[in-house]
Amino acid sequence: MENQLANKAGEILSWLGFLLFLIVFINMLQAPRITIGTEEREIMRNFHIVAGTFLMAVSMFRVYVWIHFPPQKNHRLLPEQDYIFIHLMQFFLYCSFIAQGISGFLMAWSDGVIRFIKGVDTIDHGLWAISGYLHSAFGFLYIMLILIIIILRLYHMIRFRVFSLNVFA
Amino acid sequence: MSLLDMRKYVNNARGVHWLFIMVLIGIAFYLPFLIFGAFPYNTKTNTNPDEMGQLLEGFESVDFYAMSEFLSDSPKQIQKEIDAFETWEGGKCRFCHAVKEDDRDRMAPSLYGIFGRPAGVGDNYTYSDALMNLKSNGLIWTPELLDAFISNPSNFMPGNRMRVQGIEDLETRKLIVNYLMRESKPIKEE
Repeated sequence: MENQLANKAGEILSWLGFLLFLIVFINMLQAPRITIGTEEREIMRNFHIVAGTFLMAVSMFRVYVWIHFPPQKNHRLLPEQDYIFIHLMQFFLYCSFIAQGISGFLMAWSDGVIRFIKGVDTIDHGLWAISGYLHSAFGFLYIMLILIIIILRLYHMIRFRVFSLNVFA
Repeated sequence: MSLLDMRKYVNNARGVHWLFIMVLIGIAFYLPFLIFGAFPYNTKTNTNPDEMGQLLEGFESVDFYAMSEFLSDSPKQIQKEIDAFETWEGGKCRFCHAVKEDDRDRMAPSLYGIFGRPAGVGDNYTYSDALMNLKSNGLIWTPELLDAFISNPSNFMPGNRMRVQGIEDLETRKLIVNYLMRESKPIKEE
């Protein structure tokens, strides 16, 4: 019973994660083309922060469910090692979303975009540069992971006749 | 189900799987540098007043911003310059560079007071070896040099980290230089 509930929660969180990823990704492609300092750019950035925070929260829940109730192999035709490999990729995908969220938070905080206490200056260019670099690196990591997961899914389809649409596990 | 299952699941992964993930992480950490020329660490101060004095020896009385007096005041022309410097369709310069004194530092060095400034002396930025070599060779940014640099950065200064395509259009380059002449002019203290 507990297992069934965890599986259902995992499935919902996966699709929610996928949807939020799409929103953040489209926003990420558009925002850099808008001139810095314009109102439109500010709106896009604020939206990015909100959607990214939701994605990080969903990923945290997904990792929590994953650790306590790891996905079980239910495709008879898929060899054990191929199953483990793709799931390892998917697990790291969620970890990269969390890392992306943390580095994004640090970036916004050190840039003075988000503040907790009125009048307290949080601007730190050194922290902004390193967190910005990490934010970019984790962004590249999840793009590569998603591409590899898609390629693996196609390979499984051709090689083992195992069909699955679920890129986000 | 428990944490034990997760451990078993992770332990069953082959060494080559872990190696593959480590390689991916390594590539991901290299790509921001390779594609954007980003650097994760900032050198807070790149030059001290004594060194600056030596680099500018003989140029103290030259006003590199003298040309700004002759720029057109027409709002249409000013807007053209802004578009050339700030927009994606123009030079995209604003996406990485700060221009005014109170602008927050971005990924690339601030262009405040760029004309008449020696190469590689801006704060809060880690310059490439290529730029530091030009600094040692005494390069001072002038409108003409900047125009030549942005026309083909990798050709003008091989090994620099401004990973953008050169701006081939002479008119766009002129607008960018004019924008900087107008906007990056240092405010003289009374």
